[in-house]
Amino acid sequence: MSSARPKLKPDTPKAVTAWNTQTGRTVYLTSERRWSEDVLDAAVLTAPQDEEELAFAKGDEQTVTDPYFMQVKAEGGVDGRETLRETIRAQGPTNHPMFGKQAGSP
Amino acid sequence: MYRYDQFDEQLVRERAAQFRGQVERRLSGELKEDHFKPLRLQNGVYLQLHAYMLRVAIPYGQLSSRKMRQLAMIADTYDKGYGHFTTRQNIQYNWVALKNIPDVLDKLADVEMHAIQTSGNCIRNTTSDHLAGANADELEDPRPWCEIIRQWSTIHPEFAFLPRKFKIAVTAAAPDRAAIKVHDIGLLMKPNANGEVGFEVFVGGGLGRTPHVGVSVRDWVSKGELLSYLEAIMRVYNRFGRRDNKFKARIKILVNETGPEEFTRLVEEEFAAQGPKEKVVLPDEEVARIMAYFAPPEFEDLPEVSQAFEREKARNEGFARWARINLRAHRTPGYASVHISLKPQGVAPGDATGEQMRVMADLAEQYGMDDVRVAHEQDIVLPHVKMDDLPAVYAKLVEHRLATANAGLITDLIACPGLDYCNLANARSISVANDIQAEFADADFEEEIGKLHVNISGCINACGHHHVGHIGVLGVDKKGEEFYQITLGGRADEKAAIGDIAGPGLRHEEVRPAFRRVIDKYLEVRNGKSETFIEVLERLGQEPFKEALYASA
Repeated sequence: MSSARPKLKPDTPKAVTAWNTQTGRTVYLTSERRWSEDVLDAAVLTAPQDEEELAFAKGDEQTVTDPYFMQVKAEGGVDGRETLRETIRAQGPTNHPMFGKQAGSP
Repeated sequence: MYRYDQFDEQLVRERAAQFRGQVERRLSGELKEDHFKPLRLQNGVYLQLHAYMLRVAIPYGQLSSRKMRQLAMIADTYDKGYGHFTTRQNIQYNWVALKNIPDVLDKLADVEMHAIQTSGNCIRNTTSDHLAGANADELEDPRPWCEIIRQWSTIHPEFAFLPRKFKIAVTAAAPDRAAIKVHDIGLLMKPNANGEVGFEVFVGGGLGRTPHVGVSVRDWVSKGELLSYLEAIMRVYNRFGRRDNKFKARIKILVNETGPEEFTRLVEEEFAAQGPKEKVVLPDEEVARIMAYFAPPEFEDLPEVSQAFEREKARNEGFARWARINLRAHRTPGYASVHISLKPQGVAPGDATGEQMRVMADLAEQYGMDDVRVAHEQDIVLPHVKMDDLPAVYAKLVEHRLATANAGLITDLIACPGLDYCNLANARSISVANDIQAEFADADFEEEIGKLHVNISGCINACGHHHVGHIGVLGVDKKGEEFYQITLGGRADEKAAIGDIAGPGLRHEEVRPAFRRVIDKYLEVRNGKSETFIEVLERLGQEPFKEALYASA
């Protein structure tokens, strides 16, 4: 795994994120176990079912690469000490507002 | 410029075809990421924050206009219309889709380029002086030896799985523009007592979390024995380098822990033990064949002073400033080397659009003997331009925002992509670079400050070479907030030194005013304009600058 992220506590709201294998775009696991490019679509997970969702993501290796837990708010959206990194992943580079999802493009 | 022979061509084509198959198997699910990752890395493919990143090798930083145009086409067709030139004289594309990378590799092969060994624990692109073959101060052209090392190290089976990555740089000038002492191996071409040109060998330089300046292990090795000597070093490293701890696996750690004397003894022992069949003997005809590709172009017999150049200087203040700052002396009367800054205000250092790449390619073709160089400072150089043509070159550069007159000044800073792109970064680099550029946007003031190297890294891996900036900036993460540690006194030249950490990290918004205070202090205490920042720092020590740095932080 290329992205060793900080370990989250079991009761911390979290989501599963990864990269689309074909395009490299950031994706998020939804409550229907589909992959969305919008972080607000991510299923907010709390123990005990969260490990099952990560296990599902890891098993979906053809579709996605390097899934991991990221911290989110209980109501959804990026949160925690990696807020800046995950916001950049979710939206795009801060120096290039014309690129990434913030520009309405991948 | 070197041209591929049938072996180079076959190797690059076969490698591209092989990777196409590997990508197909990854996308079909046949290959898992754990198996695919080492394969993609060997072909320069990383997975970054937003997309895959492809790093393309530019051997010793040299391009032709044809190659530059192809890089532009790739930027426009497969990326988002730009590329990022790196501190290893390579180019990176930040937005390529994995499914398209095999096509990109084919397009690169069409112009004798590739991405082999731009990642992974192998010998990486050999770098060199961007003014090689043009500057009067070099002993001879180092590029043929870079090419020889490239051919020797490409897919060398013994050195394909080293403990860690391995970087070699070569220069032939006393003023070191290739930062050879912060490479795993640095080679300085120099004569022995008999006047025969060979190499002084430095080993164990490097940056990252444990920075070291390389130590001289051999005062002189002949050209004929160069590869054998390099093999001796690589074998000692391969045998004794640590593989149990990634952070202690670079050769600098081995040299440091073994001690330079013992390390040198081990290398000399290995070198002496090489039997006749083990020696890498370079056939004279092969050396001559490679040398021929680097024969100097046919320079015209021109007067020292160009009337066209002088007239434009007198007429055009912007041109005069650019000429003062961005031109470098050429060995041939009537010629100059043009430094094209990729550091205009507000742009990520090292970025160039596809259109800008085409403009530079056109200029190289029309005025620059079809020669383009990438400098490790993330700028572009046209090494051979007639002084008479400089007004036309400048006018074209101005049209395309390529005429920023800041080469070697405070806004010509080095910066890695940082947290805006990099999966390893802890903090942003580009925004800090842009803040500093904005603070010193006044061209008169910047010129008044004079020569000063600012290097910025977004994490301890030090891709932005912060340790060897006169002022270095290292981004760190503190409980989710970006902080920036400042180092003072580093240098990457022939007096290579690792900067000292000045004190506690600064918040993002504190960096810009802190820089201003440091520069104001420098201007206050220097002995005239000719005393550069680094000279004052070495004369007075860090204290006055530390005080300025933290004055109201």
